[in-house]
Amino acid sequence: MTDYDVIVIGAGCGGLSVGALLAKQGRKVLVLEQSDRIGGCCSTFQKEGYTFDLGASLIEDAEVIDWCFQRLGTTLDREVDLVSCDPVYDVIMKDGTRLKYPLSAEASARNIGALAPEDVKGWHAYADYMQGFLDAALKGFFLAPANTQGDLVNLFAKTPKLLKYGPMFASSYQGVMEKYFQDTRIRESIAFQSFYGGLPPDSCPGYIAMIPWSEHAGIYYSKGGMIGIPRALERLGQNFGLTVRLKTRVSRVIVRNRRALGVALADGTEITSDLVVSDINAKLLYLKMIGEEHLPWLARVGIKSYEYSMATPMLYLGVDYTPPLEGHHTLISRPMDELNDYWWNVYKKDRYAEEHFGIVSWTSHSDPGLAPQEGHHVLVLTLEPGPYRLHGTTWDDFKAALTEQILDYMSKRYIPGLAEHVRVAELSTPVDFERRLLSPEGAIYALRQDLTSGVTFRPAAKSKSIAGLYLVGASTHPGGGVPTTIASGMIAADLIQRYE
Amino acid sequence: MNIKKILLLAGAAVAVYVYVKQPERKKRFLREILRQVPYLIPRYFA
Repeated sequence: MTDYDVIVIGAGCGGLSVGALLAKQGRKVLVLEQSDRIGGCCSTFQKEGYTFDLGASLIEDAEVIDWCFQRLGTTLDREVDLVSCDPVYDVIMKDGTRLKYPLSAEASARNIGALAPEDVKGWHAYADYMQGFLDAALKGFFLAPANTQGDLVNLFAKTPKLLKYGPMFASSYQGVMEKYFQDTRIRESIAFQSFYGGLPPDSCPGYIAMIPWSEHAGIYYSKGGMIGIPRALERLGQNFGLTVRLKTRVSRVIVRNRRALGVALADGTEITSDLVVSDINAKLLYLKMIGEEHLPWLARVGIKSYEYSMATPMLYLGVDYTPPLEGHHTLISRPMDELNDYWWNVYKKDRYAEEHFGIVSWTSHSDPGLAPQEGHHVLVLTLEPGPYRLHGTTWDDFKAALTEQILDYMSKRYIPGLAEHVRVAELSTPVDFERRLLSPEGAIYALRQDLTSGVTFRPAAKSKSIAGLYLVGASTHPGGGVPTTIASGMIAADLIQRYE
Repeated sequence: MNIKKILLLAGAAVAVYVYVKQPERKKRFLREILRQVPYLIPRYFA
């Protein structure tokens, strides 16, 4: 007799969604979270009266999240107070040109036309192609297990239209975008989203190029902070008997004869279960918490071969003025080749940017309640990728000077008055993310996400090495992001229902 | 040299020619994939 039917390690969006769905199946489920709050990267914290989002600052493909809530007997709209962000982005390019992408595709086409009339046709062609891909891929790709080649065959058998989009998988993000857009400024305005796939435009898989289009189906902010989404999943799970325990660190998974039997906590306590679900980095799980000795040699080679995904510093700012910005999201962009150059010649050489780019999320624009009083505001800067190891210094030593440098740069170039109006500033470096979330090297999408580390080549949702072990979260298919990790929870819940 | 060997060498020569003629970003995309190819089978079992 075990203590629980299922133990879930980690209360990120993947862990909570699978926990809630399994509880609804009637299983006795315990979720163990090492930190003092749920949500993982999709979490929120307070500092001096200001409320900041830790990592995720928006949700796209809300339909996928809604499917999970529907399975739990409700809807996303009913459980989470979502604010639609329109425009999707106000883009400020390197030369100072601004281009606004309103939610309306037609309005976006008009703005593109004002800058580059020849690219309006390309925008419509791009939109048609990507919408076709999304229609074919969303349900099939996001919710289909990708454990075996058989699963892939099933996926294509059920949605043969996907075959039409094969060429996109053999191309890079940049290759796809250059096919549709000729003007370098338009290309620049949609370049940064390749980092949502964790790679620069020249190396990111071509299908990620769907993102700048899928955003026009709506991007949303959760009122009160992004933690609203995991909180809703936790609440719904608790209605079915789910237990979530915070500040409880799992030190290892108990494995005998290649079967997971429960977990051992950092304080030495052992809790047994029929199944273990991991919502932590798969390399950390297999190599540290399980141990190489329990893995078949081929799996051991495979797990070790994965590279961690990129990390990115974030700057959380509480300010006492209304920033001169035009909406929830401002995208400070760079030309595609400059992003590639930064990746290969700066980031990959363990150096960090002196001229910054990234996304400025003016969260209190959508929810004034995030600031302590009227006239005050909250900004979260998701900056360019930052290496885990810094050449010649450490993140801890560099942090204070970097904060000053970023504020100075942003004030001079993009957000006049920012440096003089900062009341609270906290920089979270890749090392801080590692400490806070136990995410190795601060990797935001767990493992690198390219064709060779994706779908059936990503660690399997139903472990191929350890019986009774399942994976959710960014480490497994379909990868990192709020909707995708929630989708991984749905996939694992389906697999468990089928096999256990 | 039999016909199979000639075809193989000709194919390899064409592949090298096509690769060399590609712009740097395409070469990099290809190189990054090729670098990971040896791990595909182990990753399938991960």
